[in-house]
Amino acid sequence: MSPSHDHEVQPDSASLRVARRERVVAAMQEAGIEILVIGSEPNARYVSGVPRLWINGSHPFGPGCVFVRDTQDVHLVLTWDEGVPEEIQHEHLHGITFNGANSLKMLQGVAGAATARRVATDGLMGGTPKSMTKAFPQAELADGEQLLLQVRSTKLPEEVEAIRASIGIAERALEAAADAVKAGITERQLTGAFMHAMATQGITTPTTQDIAWITSPTARWSRSSRDVAVRSTDLVALGGGLMAGGYIGELGRTVCVDGVATVAPDLLQRWDELWDRLIAACKPGASGADLFGAYTSAGIELPPMPVAHGLGLGNDLPLVTPELPRTSADQRLEAGQVLALTGYVWQEGVGAIYAQEPVLITDAGPEILSAHPFREAADR
Amino acid sequence: MVSAPQARTIPASPDLERMRADRVARLRATMREQGVDALILLGNTNVVYATGAIWPLSDVSRISFERPVAVVLADDELPHLFSPFRADERLRAGLPDSHYHGPAHLDFDEGVELFLERLSEVLPGPTIAIDEWTHALRRAGRTFSDGGRIVNSAKALKTPDELACMREGLRITETAMREVQQMLAPGVRQTDLTATFLRTIFEAGADANILDPIWQVMPSTMADGPWTTTGGIACPLLTTPRELQRGDVMWVDAGISYEGFHTDFGRTWIVGNEPSAQQREQFDKWRSIMDSVLSVTRAGAMASDLTAAAIAANGGEKPWMPHFYLGHGLGIDAAEHPFVGSDIGEVFDAQLELQAGMVLVLEPIVWEDGAGGYRSEEILLITEDGWEPMTDYSYEPF
Repeated sequence: MSPSHDHEVQPDSASLRVARRERVVAAMQEAGIEILVIGSEPNARYVSGVPRLWINGSHPFGPGCVFVRDTQDVHLVLTWDEGVPEEIQHEHLHGITFNGANSLKMLQGVAGAATARRVATDGLMGGTPKSMTKAFPQAELADGEQLLLQVRSTKLPEEVEAIRASIGIAERALEAAADAVKAGITERQLTGAFMHAMATQGITTPTTQDIAWITSPTARWSRSSRDVAVRSTDLVALGGGLMAGGYIGELGRTVCVDGVATVAPDLLQRWDELWDRLIAACKPGASGADLFGAYTSAGIELPPMPVAHGLGLGNDLPLVTPELPRTSADQRLEAGQVLALTGYVWQEGVGAIYAQEPVLITDAGPEILSAHPFREAADR
Repeated sequence: MVSAPQARTIPASPDLERMRADRVARLRATMREQGVDALILLGNTNVVYATGAIWPLSDVSRISFERPVAVVLADDELPHLFSPFRADERLRAGLPDSHYHGPAHLDFDEGVELFLERLSEVLPGPTIAIDEWTHALRRAGRTFSDGGRIVNSAKALKTPDELACMREGLRITETAMREVQQMLAPGVRQTDLTATFLRTIFEAGADANILDPIWQVMPSTMADGPWTTTGGIACPLLTTPRELQRGDVMWVDAGISYEGFHTDFGRTWIVGNEPSAQQREQFDKWRSIMDSVLSVTRAGAMASDLTAAAIAANGGEKPWMPHFYLGHGLGIDAAEHPFVGSDIGEVFDAQLELQAGMVLVLEPIVWEDGAGGYRSEEILLITEDGWEPMTDYSYEPF
């Protein structure tokens, strides 16, 4: 018997592949980079359009994909051709290897390797500069990490739709977790409920696996244990994300068995005030400092997590976090960015209200991409 | 190499404090030997190893903005942890406030500046090793030696406390697999199996899932599967919402993380049918290959002894997938040193000596083109006089 061909693994659409590569080529031209050696999975997906096996956690840098500017050749470390589009020929597929010498051979076989003057990598190990010199003897090593972060920061219309679709799936999975919140359930069980609801929708790749968190009335940025039972007055933060079609859908909510509005009416009002200011600041040209300003002008302490980061094939720019004040202030919001925007208020003796919404920045104003934003939920 | 751990019985529950102290002591011993004053670690699992910090690992796509960093100092028994996550006891891992810090954003120039400033307050000397770089660190103009090797040599040999954690992680994995195996039936979707697996691992105590679980329905002939670079079998292929059919032969592969350790699981299942006589023969052959390999597996054996035994038992052909290996180490990482029969090559295998305290996953396959094949994994602890199984999950329906 041969397997049925329903549900075959497909590459990203041809139009998406073409448009993304055009952007990469333009950025490489501007930076004078001829060859891009890619280790990170989201970057490899951006350039190749090929879904590969999902493995959780960080991985040391190693060449997993190579993109040549002038020929638009894509080389991919993948032992088979499932999900590989027609423009990536079999001779540009390279089997998984555990041997650095085989990786080097792949790089040396790339068109123009011998003569390239400037080659970028999106990651580094101690030995990377040396092995890049062996593969590209004429080339200086450049930063492909920032280059690809810049390219990925603003989204094509087709990318926005892909993100919207992922958010829809994440939202339904998060609603399943919210429905499961009752006195006695644990954070761990709520994570299980999210994962189950995600996978029954056909998506098996979470971006976070820490979905539920009983906020603490005594500490602003801590939690007790994943095995503690929820009480009816606990403010329970639910934040979940997944990857569908390569793009992240991610959002956050706060729920309470007895109702957020009943248990923490004042805090909820403060959150609402904060949120209105945050959304109002989401305009092209605004800086990260303007988002911080939304907190400070509402009299609310900056949160212990990023106020905003981009959503796309992974975490994208801008990154607006109190931990990097200068970097945050230097970045400008641009039309086409999708922000994961976080409103976070905490009060001693009460706990925290946390919500994260996906917000598309447009010239006509911000658009919230979730179907049921926390601000508008009647049953908060 | 670090010396083998003392032969102690695996305790029923691990002493986590002792486990963490043992690890830092190993790292610092190697640092002293190499004259390293400080070891900076960025790799998720290296941070786990050095600090004992437990958090649910997140997807690679989030790593650049959300990565804990560990620093081990030659003159300090406690490591430092720079964390972007909300704190709980398992993340803090017993660290006092002086050693627990906010996030280090080493992908950004500003983050590197802030981190190096903080580091300079505690550095006992100028020699720093690091496991992974970033371009921002490179721009800062510092030089670092290779720190990854320091962790790799330490983590290959497991202490009894570490083995107790691994046993518990494997138990959680297999609890979930029992649930999944019971639901195998025509019409069930692959992703439904994942749904049950994920829900059950979390309820049973897992910290995270580490691999999109593989429920690959194998063709009977390779030509019916995708083209491969090696001419061998395409596996593991991605899980989709495809519905299972009666008689599907499914190769299963999955793993979770628990207390910082990764687990592994590999079996062959058949949907809705008992195995045919031919399928039983394949299993028997797989068993005989595995037994041959196990008969030479002990501390002091070379990896090449294992590969030779496997090849001899398979009539002169390698009974493993050419893009992988006959076996791999398991521990803080899902596939770690020692690699047995990989493309690193025969010279490497001939020089790689197994040591007591290593945990090895053996994954030979049997393939008969036209009739499909069989694959399972056996997880073992290498001991002085042989090996001990780490799990006892059944081979049903075989």
